[in-house]
Amino acid sequence: MLEAHVIKARRRFTVDVTVRIPSGESCGLFGASGAGKSTILACIAGAEDPDGGRVALDRLTLHPPPLPLYRRPIGYLTQDANLFPHLSVAENVRFGLTKGAHDGHGVWIERLRERLQLEAIWNERSDAISGGQAQRVAFARMLARKPRLVLLDEPFAGLDRHLVRELLAAIGLWRKEFGFTMLVVDHEADILERLCPRAIVIEEGRAVADATWGELRAKPATALLAELLAPL
Amino acid sequence: MLVKRTAAAVFAVALLYPLAGLFVPVGPWRWGDGATIADAIRVSLVLTAIAMVVVVATGTPMALYIARAATRERLWWQAVLLISVLLPPLALGILLSLAFGPHALGAFLERFGLKMTNTPLAFVVTQVYVSIGYYTLGAVAALDGVPRALEIQAGLLGHDRWSVFGRVTFPMARLGFAVALSLAWVRALTEFGAVVITAYYPAGIPVAMWTSLENFGLPAVMPLLVVFLVTALPLPWLAHILAQRRLRRA
Repeated sequence: MLEAHVIKARRRFTVDVTVRIPSGESCGLFGASGAGKSTILACIAGAEDPDGGRVALDRLTLHPPPLPLYRRPIGYLTQDANLFPHLSVAENVRFGLTKGAHDGHGVWIERLRERLQLEAIWNERSDAISGGQAQRVAFARMLARKPRLVLLDEPFAGLDRHLVRELLAAIGLWRKEFGFTMLVVDHEADILERLCPRAIVIEEGRAVADATWGELRAKPATALLAELLAPL
Repeated sequence: MLVKRTAAAVFAVALLYPLAGLFVPVGPWRWGDGATIADAIRVSLVLTAIAMVVVVATGTPMALYIARAATRERLWWQAVLLISVLLPPLALGILLSLAFGPHALGAFLERFGLKMTNTPLAFVVTQVYVSIGYYTLGAVAALDGVPRALEIQAGLLGHDRWSVFGRVTFPMARLGFAVALSLAWVRALTEFGAVVITAYYPAGIPVAMWTSLENFGLPAVMPLLVVFLVTALPLPWLAHILAQRRLRRA
């Protein structure tokens, strides 16, 4: 179970949101750009320190006090692939595996490589591949460690629809297989809906709704939400 | 391309023009005191190397701290470093000899047998003071080039802070570190103004040049200049060569 109460001051408002996700389930954070969704994810990941609140994953307290990043069983992916440019694609994917774990993960790494179509670029330098390829490598690197909690912060932005569809299918498959808990941020409802049966709607740092997509569409909590869910 | 390369060549020629002085007739070159010169080279290389160990060991963690500090705090630390860089060498030498002299910290240190004037220790301490600001400022600039997001990602991939530094931060900043170390090395090795006050003995190459000039005139200084270039250049150049090679295993 992920239990996060995040309080973090931003320039225009203070983010104050509680997120609860039972183990193995997924939840979306939906809202307009600048609503505070990424801040919540960054605070849960440990990329930013919350000003208050509490974050725990099962019996592991992530904050407070802030647990060192390397002890957090978290996979965190953002719009930027953040690959290590001095390493090859293969070295990036294996980066999170401890020495002893390399052999044990061999089959799993091979599956990731095939499913994410990384064979052709496996030995390339990671600063010499395209943006779409980089994002696939980042997915593989994150999943290589089989994290208990996966945090996705609009990792599909800028990717073509075909690739997004592929990634969504792969994530769904692996989540079923490994049962990781997942929290996803996106401002595109159709993407979130594919990954998460329910969503928390954020407006100016506050949760204004927490429901399934059917419920959100049937009875939007705010005018802005109605607008965000309306077809173009 | 040709125009740019020509412009770069003109720049390089202008930069190296002072070396034309080596070809100005000053009379037949001669060695002053051979043993003294050999000693000066040994003193300069060994003690500067020791100083660089201290500079890197203390300057690197400081640079890491400054590079990741909030902007306002970081400006204060940088001001402190700039003070050490901006002090004229002679003034720094005088201040060091007073601050470590018998009326200050020197009396305390002498109780432990640590003499802070005209000793190898005084030489190394002076070199550390004249060069550490250059190294640390350069290292901060190098670390600024490493996105914090990559370090966070490396941490979340299970690496503790030392491992993150060794596998991500340093490999990505290595060229900047090499430049910083080169500057510090050259600054320390060539130091005269401060060292001549705090550690006239044991004489390093700059002091040996000065005494050769005083005792034997320009003909005795010229070979020393060549020796100085030959001994000072390889280490920083090697650092640049190593830094520019791609690290196969980070």
